[in-house]
Amino acid sequence: MERKSAFILGLFFVVNTLNAQIINKVPLSERITGYKMDVRLDTDAKTVSGKMEAYWVNRSGDTVPDIQMHLYMNAFRSSRTTYFKEMRGSPGEDDLDLGWIEIESFEDDNGFDLLPEMEYISPDDGNEADRTVLRVILHEPAKPGDTVFVKIGFETKLPSRIRRTGYSGNYYFVAQWFPKFGVYEPAGMRYATVGGWNCHQFHATSEFYSNHSVYDVTVTLPANYITGSGGMLISETADGIMKTQVFRGEDIVDFAWTAWPDYAVLTDRWNNVNITLLMPKDRINQAERQFTAVKNALEYFGKNVGPYPWPHLTFVDPPSIGAGAGGMEYTTLFTSGSSYFMPSFFHKPEMVTVHEFGHAYFMGIIASNEFEEPWLDEGVNSFWEVRIMDHFYGNNSGRINHPLLKISDAAATRLPYLRSSARQAVSNNEYSWKYPHGTYFIISYFKAATWLNTLMGIVGEETINEVFREYYRKWAFKHPSGTDFVNVVNEVVSREHGDKFGPDMNWFFDQTLYGTGICDYKVQGIDNHKYQKPQGRSDSDDISEIAGFNVDSLYFSVAELGRIGEIMLPVDVLIHFTNGDEVLEKWDGKERYKDFKYTGNREIEWVKIDPEFKISMDVDYNNNSMTMTPQKAPLHRLVNKITAFIEFYLSIMLL
Amino acid sequence: MKVLSSLKTGILRSIRLWKGVLIVWFIMFILVSVLMYPFRSSLGSAFGTSMITEKLEGGFDVEAFADLGSTMKSLVTFFTAGFVIVYLTGFIINAFLTGGLFHSLRKDNEKFSYQEFFRGCSANFWSFLVISLIITLIMSFLSGIIILIPLGIISSSETISEKNAYTLVICAVAFILMIIPLFLLVADYARAGKAANSNLSCFTALGFGFSQTFGKLKSSYILMLFLILAQIALGIIILSIFPAWRPVTGGGVFLLLIISQLMFYFRLLFKTWRYASVTSLMESTLVVKPGNL
Repeated sequence: MERKSAFILGLFFVVNTLNAQIINKVPLSERITGYKMDVRLDTDAKTVSGKMEAYWVNRSGDTVPDIQMHLYMNAFRSSRTTYFKEMRGSPGEDDLDLGWIEIESFEDDNGFDLLPEMEYISPDDGNEADRTVLRVILHEPAKPGDTVFVKIGFETKLPSRIRRTGYSGNYYFVAQWFPKFGVYEPAGMRYATVGGWNCHQFHATSEFYSNHSVYDVTVTLPANYITGSGGMLISETADGIMKTQVFRGEDIVDFAWTAWPDYAVLTDRWNNVNITLLMPKDRINQAERQFTAVKNALEYFGKNVGPYPWPHLTFVDPPSIGAGAGGMEYTTLFTSGSSYFMPSFFHKPEMVTVHEFGHAYFMGIIASNEFEEPWLDEGVNSFWEVRIMDHFYGNNSGRINHPLLKISDAAATRLPYLRSSARQAVSNNEYSWKYPHGTYFIISYFKAATWLNTLMGIVGEETINEVFREYYRKWAFKHPSGTDFVNVVNEVVSREHGDKFGPDMNWFFDQTLYGTGICDYKVQGIDNHKYQKPQGRSDSDDISEIAGFNVDSLYFSVAELGRIGEIMLPVDVLIHFTNGDEVLEKWDGKERYKDFKYTGNREIEWVKIDPEFKISMDVDYNNNSMTMTPQKAPLHRLVNKITAFIEFYLSIMLL
Repeated sequence: MKVLSSLKTGILRSIRLWKGVLIVWFIMFILVSVLMYPFRSSLGSAFGTSMITEKLEGGFDVEAFADLGSTMKSLVTFFTAGFVIVYLTGFIINAFLTGGLFHSLRKDNEKFSYQEFFRGCSANFWSFLVISLIITLIMSFLSGIIILIPLGIISSSETISEKNAYTLVICAVAFILMIIPLFLLVADYARAGKAANSNLSCFTALGFGFSQTFGKLKSSYILMLFLILAQIALGIIILSIFPAWRPVTGGGVFLLLIISQLMFYFRLLFKTWRYASVTSLMESTLVVKPGNL
């Protein structure tokens, strides 16, 4: 009884601590879950072990008999786990290569031992060898409004060969390392028709869907290690060999941390955000460009989506031995990827930084379900990455800016989708692990970013910004679905443009988000037919349309357009005449064939569909235009330069 | 002093040989055009009457080419295969033409004649081909080894810092750059020796090249280093002109062709200067007379 009282008192203290405000003045989220952990890093055994006290609040109207938790580190237990089956790989042969998490004790707030009530489930694929989801039957079902407290003792063995998480030598990136609650979805939330836990297994392509939580994490580790985490460092004590650090994270969906003795710690500030960058000491020459990139992203997101709500941000540029941790996102902690020698014209480090920072918004603040709707996470984020990179690093040079080669981030994102032979294999409306033929990246990242860019081309940049501002206002620190996003688009477009695009934009999403068709418009031909005066008749006998024209140089001209792809989008058509006149036509893009006809003392010289390249989904820009006077000079110039290059190359290489 | 006088003599002899260099330029231009002319036609028909070529006015546009889809793949395949054929053919033709150049660069050939030039080409062809092949293979093999060793060290080490890894690779590349002049000297001495004495077999000539190079290493290396630096200077001038020059009219493009070919001709003259200077240095400080081998 005494033990039980002490435990309840302890939990009361935990809840009070977790609900306290240390970082922000007011809670940003509902804080349905919270975690207080005290762990120790064993650098010999490569383990992180300790105790965790956590809670989940049943905010639904359901009586819930169980809880479900992610035990992601078990994905590295064997090659038979779902993660490695999807990866077609192996965690390694040696015991030190494997990763796992063992639950050593599991009690509820009444001190009941829940270990016997634990079972591993595989809701996604039924793989019995996969132990990444834990179900625990509660001693008493959680009634609406109840808070379920649990106290867990666990030991996590980190895997070698870092894949998102693990260790390499003395480098540690500790992510997906503790038992974490799934999300309980009552009927009506997102696509749930009945209440239940949404707790997916660890997959090769996705890992995030969690409630916004408060984290109090105490880490004890060797004193010579330098650390960084998604929380703020609250206190640090040392006893010579070991040190203990206390971190606190508020309203974030995950907590990860890293430790390495050789990190250089650099700091900067943007408005009220303290930025910390951890990187190898001999890579400090790359720090300024990394800080610039993250500040660019902070500025752009703040202006066009919504404020970054935390006063702290840590990002890590892992050393080459920990490169497997690069390019990951944990909201207030993310990892980039650079190297000691990274030419300034190559903007990949900036791109990775901007992209991973962007996840603080798309799945961090607006916590969509990456497992079920990866486009809402990766695709939307890629769309913003493209905009930021091309805005700050040049419209044509967001990815590469070299005198000999310039590539925009928009092109680098569009081309993998357009050139993929599997671009029509599946729509964006698919669970992350079900994308066939390696299409996950092509469809989730690149196709989604491309059709979002196309949507911006149709409704305008300011409208799309307003869409995302509204999306942020409505869904920050909540869990929207794809349908919720579409509803926001419909609402804002209708508000901004009335019925210019119809009663809603569903016609767009049906084709792009939910469809597998491609978009391809083509100028089929230009026909300039000179008027032939009929024999034996006077001009007055001819059709009235020639009235007022000089019949000696009268032309009937036709711009012949076609829709080759399945997708129908409204497009602009610019028609240029020999006398310098230009006409901008609007085509709803629905018919398979479309003719624009003109009569006058002028011929059509050229025709361009989508002259401003707004429809980036169009899979072939080359057939979007046709001219009667082709300009070959640029091609000949290119060929001349290649000719000279080969000649010089041969003269250098041949003795 | 010998180095300077060899360089000076080399200039005079290479200028004297301008017609021979013109022959080399013409043949190389035709050779490369055999690949590039059909490539240009294919490119032209791939873009057809599209106005996407406007995007190329500002330089290479990856989207314009990528949107060609399967046509682009065919173009790349055609270009790659053609380039390999041009390289191999160029290797053989170069062995042939350098025979004429070295023959005409000799001290006793004061006046250029086409007959002598082509006589030298045919007389030296097989020997020069073997010499070029052997030196090229040795250089490629050594370069590969020198690069692979540090890469192996880097990939097998978990503790090496990126800065040290980068420094190691740079050192390896620098070492390769340092030994390249030696191999060029061996090849040039061997060919100059063979041109001076037609009785030499190619392997004897190679031995002569090595003995000349290492027999008077200091003066030879300084000479070659100077010649390479001069060629690098020319390369920098060319690189500062051409990438940024983007004419958009037919006349401008034609001017680009003329200037680029003129530059290539200068480049060949510089290379001939190298042959001539090495030949001159050999003649002035012959350690082992090729005729006595």
